[in-house]
Amino acid sequence: VSRDQGQGLKSIVVDAETYRAQVMQSLAQDWSFGGLYVSPGQHKAQVRTLLIARDGSTRLISVATDGPHVPTIVDLAPAAGWDEREAHDLYGVGFIGHEPMRPLVDHNAASPWTVPVHGEDPYEVAVGPIHAGIIESGHFRFHVVGDRILHLDARLFYKHRGLEQAAQGSTLTEAMAYVARACAACAVSNAIAYAHACEEALGLVPSHGLARARTFLLELERVWNHLNDMSAICAGVGLAAGTNRFATLTERARRLNARISGHRFLFGTVHIGATKLVIDSDVMAEVRTTLATLRREAAISWRELLFNASFQDRLPDVGVLTADQARQLGTVGPAARATGLAEDARSTSRHLSYLDFRPVTVSPASGDVRARLEQRAAELWQSFDILDRLADAPVTPAAATVGGGVRSAAVGRVESPRGATTCVVEHDRGRVTRLRLRTGSYANWPSVAAAATGNLLPDFPLINKSFELCYACADR
Amino acid sequence: MLTLLRDLRRIRRDLALPDPDRRRSLAIRHVDAGSCNGCEHELTLASSPYYDLQRFGLGVVASPRHADVLLVTGAVTRAMREPLLIAYRAMPEPRRVAALGDCALGRGLLGTPDLIEAVDAVLGVDIYIAGCPPTPDVIAQALLRLIDGTAPGHIY
Repeated sequence: VSRDQGQGLKSIVVDAETYRAQVMQSLAQDWSFGGLYVSPGQHKAQVRTLLIARDGSTRLISVATDGPHVPTIVDLAPAAGWDEREAHDLYGVGFIGHEPMRPLVDHNAASPWTVPVHGEDPYEVAVGPIHAGIIESGHFRFHVVGDRILHLDARLFYKHRGLEQAAQGSTLTEAMAYVARACAACAVSNAIAYAHACEEALGLVPSHGLARARTFLLELERVWNHLNDMSAICAGVGLAAGTNRFATLTERARRLNARISGHRFLFGTVHIGATKLVIDSDVMAEVRTTLATLRREAAISWRELLFNASFQDRLPDVGVLTADQARQLGTVGPAARATGLAEDARSTSRHLSYLDFRPVTVSPASGDVRARLEQRAAELWQSFDILDRLADAPVTPAAATVGGGVRSAAVGRVESPRGATTCVVEHDRGRVTRLRLRTGSYANWPSVAAAATGNLLPDFPLINKSFELCYACADR
Repeated sequence: MLTLLRDLRRIRRDLALPDPDRRRSLAIRHVDAGSCNGCEHELTLASSPYYDLQRFGLGVVASPRHADVLLVTGAVTRAMREPLLIAYRAMPEPRRVAALGDCALGRGLLGTPDLIEAVDAVLGVDIYIAGCPPTPDVIAQALLRLIDGTAPGHIY
């Protein structure tokens, strides 16, 4: 019920002296860090910190840069580490107290980007940016003693295309292309987060039909991603039969996407203020049958994994992320829930059809590779349930209704297959002045490094695949 | 995993791929030069049981030293330009370059113009495989033409 009483983004501007106190106060009141970015502005750039309440309410605390510097908040919210480093590299903003400021996006910076590691016999293993298979580009620098990982520095942003900067100046409608192509695996989630932000900015409220169509697309995206990620974990162990079994299911899920939308990744299905998606009753009957078959076969494949002792033996106690670490690092999605944190943006998605959604968490929520795999399986069955409920009637075109005033800044937040994805849009009479897309992958990369610490180097591919983060939607 | 084996025959009946009985092979080195990850996901499935590119002598190898063809996805970002060239230079002759997907082809590029460029602005391209992203069977058919030595420079 409370979900329909949506409050928009509350925005306050503070001075540098009270900025930290404001952030600290929100965090103490159980708001969590949701992102930090620079808004260039006409005179002085502002640093904006987004905070998110348990009920999904959003608050933006802005502080003008001076010099250009602002105080850091990384000690208050370690999850802001990457955001501040990105703001430094792309906008030249200094964060007083963030020492040392290691480059993140800028690969040509003179200052060192790795953490110095001292001790007896440590050595470095450099991997990437090009990897030994069909893998996105990114560089990992392992600090190792023997086979044991002391520390991992991940250097991403090899795929930085400047999508957000390129979107500035275009209309809100045109800018959808930049968001939708940031990442194929999260295309629907990212596009809906952006559409929600635009609709709030334009004073539009999604109708029931629009919410239902979008929820259907989001869960289709989650199904193929979770099937793909379960295949990837089998590949990380080296169980070819499991890899291939879940890959065939992924293929069939993508064919279902194409049957519904004409595109295997559901590209072009999300628009601001409306949906053109049509699933008539004949196609819907076919969709229901296909989903039931996929579910049955996924359940058979899952059972085969559960009873494969040598496979199961590789999963426990590998790549452990604790609930405390997850809370500190701002981990989201299945990776956070596998540590026991029952947080899922679907619980508070006011403009989607999740009804009385309750997040599932595995037991024991041990935060290791086993827990992350089982978490995906549990969420897969949940997604099939949601799709089954939504598939009870045809899908027809629907539009948003006018329900509020125009705002210059707004936020959209959607649970992607990898966790909460937040999109902030700022505009001036319908033209984008700033767009920030903070995806589940972006939020979770520091957690991969934390989970790898203390593990064996040969286990890293498995640990990495158990998170299965995108590089594309982190790098943008 | 017996269900998998039972399914395979049925699965492959749908596909219009040629007879796998051929005597040549092609070792592929994939480089993601700045994609959206769509081409990678489709390329991964091209090696899955539905399509099983290995049947045709097409395999993805772990080093440019072992490769006949450099398969490049994405527009080339500024940061990936040099690693891409290093991979190309490490390949033995004769070598081929395949550009996979509309971004690699420079079609409808999205991003800041001075951060990205088409693959053929960096390297000579022998085969262009269009699509956003190209489906696994389109990828398979294009690479098979490359094995057969037909139509270099063709856009699929």
